[in-house]
Amino acid sequence: MTGAQAAGFSGREADSSAASAVKALQAEGRHAEARERYAELVGRHQRRASRIAFHYMRDVAEADEAVQDAFVKAYSHLSSFREELPFEVWFTRILINGCLDRIKARTRRERWIAPMPDGPAGERDFAERVAGNDPSPEDQLLARERRERLARALARLPERQRSVFMLSHYEGCTSREVSVVTGLNESTVRVHLFRAIRKLRTLLGEGHAAETKVEKRRVHS
Amino acid sequence: MSILNRLRLTAHLDDAGLTAIWTDTAATGVRPPHAHLESCPVCRGRFAELASWMETLRLDATTEADESFPPERLAIQHAQIFRRLEAAERPARVIAFPRFAQPLTSRTSHASRWIAAAAAAGLIVGVGVGQLMDLRHSLSRATVESRGTPTTMAAQRLDPRLSPVNVTRDEAFLSELDASLSRAAVPELRALDAFTPRASDLSR
Repeated sequence: MTGAQAAGFSGREADSSAASAVKALQAEGRHAEARERYAELVGRHQRRASRIAFHYMRDVAEADEAVQDAFVKAYSHLSSFREELPFEVWFTRILINGCLDRIKARTRRERWIAPMPDGPAGERDFAERVAGNDPSPEDQLLARERRERLARALARLPERQRSVFMLSHYEGCTSREVSVVTGLNESTVRVHLFRAIRKLRTLLGEGHAAETKVEKRRVHS
Repeated sequence: MSILNRLRLTAHLDDAGLTAIWTDTAATGVRPPHAHLESCPVCRGRFAELASWMETLRLDATTEADESFPPERLAIQHAQIFRRLEAAERPARVIAFPRFAQPLTSRTSHASRWIAAAAAAGLIVGVGVGQLMDLRHSLSRATVESRGTPTTMAAQRLDPRLSPVNVTRDEAFLSELDASLSRAAVPELRALDAFTPRASDLSR
């Protein structure tokens, strides 16, 4: 067993005991104590949850709301949580379902409402980043372009492939965990992951090739 | 070893093959043993390239997400979650509105509407009745005027500003008064009656 796996295992045990304790406290009506204990779980999973929500939503405010909703929902439905399932997996399922619902609602909204043009806030944000002493502005710009290209490519993947890819690759879940979260077979999860990577390589390879062509043309002219 | 197996071992792995190996590694967390990959440095190099590309993708995505959620934002989010949980657990408070807090304006407007309607109705009835009375009055005046004496008519013709006088009616009234006085048998009033001039004396 590797160090990370051992840490994951002990983390899961801690999650399980915390979730059981919160459940018991809720049943006894000791709500303040239940909330205190639940804070442990929130603290442990908050960053990961925010990351997953951001990958889905691609918008900080919406991801923030999705995470809040998921934690509130998980707390109020903790009585339906079964201990044999890791809390992380159960909670991720709630979070992803919430994100997918929000994406559906956003798609409906965007069909009818024209998006607002970017205000000066984005420019200021960019200027602040440039003025910082982090990577050079050129590096930042390149990284940003690369991320945008990746986000566009991910958005073009079918929903299941995208979910499987994000959970497996970004969150390091095993195919078994992904299968529990998504409700798919383990073998289906592997097939989706394989197809997602193949498609991403094609999409990002095409983008990269097109950019190289443009660059070459610029050099020749 | 058969020719097919030998070919399989010597042929380089294509992109799909490398991706399949990478997928298996990601799914289980352990890289499955692969004879060709172990023996072929070219394919091992390409596999390492694929793994590094995948790692760049993961790092880019993770960095972007972590930059979007700095610790301050996470702290605010944490506080917000617990504020919502507390609010959800608090028993719903029923706010008893006092009587005067009920929409006073609507009640006032309801009453004032009735008053206004009554006033309007009264005004309309008043105007209507007034008009009717005026009409009746003018009709009766017209009848009397049509029966008016030549003297009155002449006077009217002479001076149109003079109001019409009903002489016939006045004379009838005076003679009726005379008659009643002559019949009067009240002894206390006789002295007073003696001083009072007679209408017949005046007309002479």
